[in-house]
Amino acid sequence: MAGISVAALFAAAAPAMAAWECPETGGDLTFGQEAKVNSLDMHASSTISTRNVAMHIFESLMTRDETNNPILELAEAVDTSEDGLTYTFTLRDGITFHDGSDMTSADVAASFDRYSKIGVERGILSNVESWETPDDLTFVVHMSQAQPTFLEDLSSFSVPIVIIPSENAGADPLKLEPVGTGPFELVEFVADSHVKLKRFDGYKPNEAYDERTGFGGYKVACVDTVTFRIVTEPGSRVAGLETGELDAVEDVPQASVERLSSNPDIAMIPYENFWIHLATPNFEKPPTDKKLVRQAIAAALDMEEIMLVATDGAYNVNFGFQTQDRAVYSDAGKEYFNLADPEKAKALLEEAGYDGEELVLLTNRDYSTMYNAALVMSEQLQDIGMNVRVEVQDWPATIATRNKNPDAWNYHFTGWGTNTSLGYLAVFKFLAPPQPIYAMSDPEKNMDEAFNTAYTEMMNGANFEVRKEAFAEAQRVVMEDGLALPFGWLTKNQAARSNVHNFVPFRIPRMYNVWMGSTS
Amino acid sequence: MIAYIIRRLLYVIPVLLIISLISFSLMQLVPGDPAIVVAGTSASNEEIERVREQLGLNQPFHVQLLTWYANLFRGDLGTSFLLGRDVVEVTLERLPVSLSIAIYALVLTLIFGIMLGIIAALRQNSWVDQAVMTVALIGVSLPNFWLGLILIVIFAVELGWLPTAGYVPFTEDIVGWLRSTTLPAVSLAMLQMGLLARITRSTMLEVLRQDYIRTARAKGLPEHVVVGKHALKNVMIPVITVIGIIFSVLLSGSVVIETIFSIPGVGSLLGSAILRRDYPVIQGGLLLVATMLLLLNLVIDVLYAYFDSRVRYDRD
Repeated sequence: MAGISVAALFAAAAPAMAAWECPETGGDLTFGQEAKVNSLDMHASSTISTRNVAMHIFESLMTRDETNNPILELAEAVDTSEDGLTYTFTLRDGITFHDGSDMTSADVAASFDRYSKIGVERGILSNVESWETPDDLTFVVHMSQAQPTFLEDLSSFSVPIVIIPSENAGADPLKLEPVGTGPFELVEFVADSHVKLKRFDGYKPNEAYDERTGFGGYKVACVDTVTFRIVTEPGSRVAGLETGELDAVEDVPQASVERLSSNPDIAMIPYENFWIHLATPNFEKPPTDKKLVRQAIAAALDMEEIMLVATDGAYNVNFGFQTQDRAVYSDAGKEYFNLADPEKAKALLEEAGYDGEELVLLTNRDYSTMYNAALVMSEQLQDIGMNVRVEVQDWPATIATRNKNPDAWNYHFTGWGTNTSLGYLAVFKFLAPPQPIYAMSDPEKNMDEAFNTAYTEMMNGANFEVRKEAFAEAQRVVMEDGLALPFGWLTKNQAARSNVHNFVPFRIPRMYNVWMGSTS
Repeated sequence: MIAYIIRRLLYVIPVLLIISLISFSLMQLVPGDPAIVVAGTSASNEEIERVREQLGLNQPFHVQLLTWYANLFRGDLGTSFLLGRDVVEVTLERLPVSLSIAIYALVLTLIFGIMLGIIAALRQNSWVDQAVMTVALIGVSLPNFWLGLILIVIFAVELGWLPTAGYVPFTEDIVGWLRSTTLPAVSLAMLQMGLLARITRSTMLEVLRQDYIRTARAKGLPEHVVVGKHALKNVMIPVITVIGIIFSVLLSGSVVIETIFSIPGVGSLLGSAILRRDYPVIQGGLLLVATMLLLLNLVIDVLYAYFDSRVRYDRD
């Protein structure tokens, strides 16, 4: 096949060192998870709680490494044709499913078939014309038009196209038998109580790597079993960790951090930059229909104060929609961020002709940080003479109000986590055409053209440098035009008993390459 | 009596239809979209629309309502949007968990509530009476979620006697069940215990002033016979009245307690279904719980006849 081999871009070089080995094997690890698991159908559920568990059971052709770059997982190589219309994946040999059957290209095709019908993010396949399986270890994707970001989309861990046995591919949404190729297999799933996994003895680690990286790399199950216990009450999670009933937990309340930090049996593991805490405006309701008003609001706000109150101190007020460790990082638009300048804000309001119109901050109590942020923002805006009302609903209601009732709100409080961690291509998804959240009911009339131009360039730029530049421009426009109002980055506190080793915070808790020592 | 029971059972049908109509309508009126929850907060509008279509939520209200009733008459309460499982199956699976804890809490409430009430009445205006009523007042005043957390800190973290969370089924391990349900049951029972102690005390005081008690004492009957045989049976009539209420409050309180103690019961199921707008679970779950409570009330009405010979249901 005449084409460009891009395998080298994704596959790591053969490891120079010996592959990673568990220092100790065995043990039963219990993890206290904050959110309930509805289903383990990784094609049909986009909730973080599903991903927490299912990413240990399933794998996909590609995934992301520790710094969010696309890497190969069940594929050992991928070739892209010169015209960008054909992708040929060579599968790793000797991979077996938890039911003992061999994984072949027929399973990959069946998984893509199912995902294209019921997959939550099946839009990533919208430019795909067909796929074929010339032999057991080759899977070829034909595009109807070139999509330079296709492999980045395919490696997304938001709702990945996990590979399942072809005989399971007819399952209805949320009814998929949880059989995959991952390092752990399912033992028991009791909804609202726990999910128990055990080591899959037939697992074949990816020898292109010598260590775990992101969701891929050289993965090994060191512990015998992992139980994800659903403990939604933060106080109960902390208590369970202290008594040793739980070996690790996520989302420790900031108020408990100091006490736990002084406990020699417990290690606090903060996961910084978990999500961007922000409010998004509504361009269709006065006064936020005016750019000058939005700029006045941005000028007035003291983000340190907002984040301190919202999170009790678990935050970073770093600027940017990507973190500084990413290659795409830019500080474009920084001049509009965290000004805390009431005089400038008042001047802008006067210039805008603001006449005391009510400003509605739409927030919720389900996420206390969002509620607290709204209260502080309300105070700061009242100080510059704005007429502010905080509207509190529950989380699903705020989303419905935001989407369906443009007359009822001016700023919607939210957090961008998954999309932010997926990278620059995904982070502005909510602001993108055809229906950006700032102009839900009438995008034609209210859409920000400068942003759309930059966004289109970012998605279709022929190479990374072009796309990176377009991302910086898109971010600058977001800040200048006030398409989003970022407050800062939230830190998610995780913790583990001190005999749990190599538990490194990531987008989801990873239990492979984690071992339990007999002593701390 | 049998005719009365049959008539009451027939009354249950329209009541349940009204309950189902209210629960169906209310959830449709409350803002919030299950499609967003199912699709995830990162989903685009296009993806949300696809999910809405898959769930049948794009149909007009009256079509959804008629479909719900048509399925209901076939015994089909639908499939959970989020669990992807049959609502009857998933609710019945959780019911024994909640019932076992509610019954445990009820037993604690009855034993300690009635006992404390009687002791207080028999020692009226003494320090014992005041101490019991103070404890009852504290029980009534403490929010059960707060009490639950405090009990976890004392009995699980500090003393290490009981687990912080989780549930062991009765059928698997009785000791494990007792250990996992004691703190939740006590948290639930404290409020009701306080209420019942106060009701029992005032009823007992009233009964002890009746002529037949004076007569019994005048006949020289020992005090334990006067109280145990003559007074207690009459005290039980108002107590039975509140048992139905107590039981339904215990069940509704389980929404909070099951969340704190991570117990997979009906309360936790309904609580999360409401927060995530899982309409079939909310509608079906409420219907099943309402049926259970209506039947419980019937049982209590029948018990009246046993304790109060003045009650004769077949004569009205």
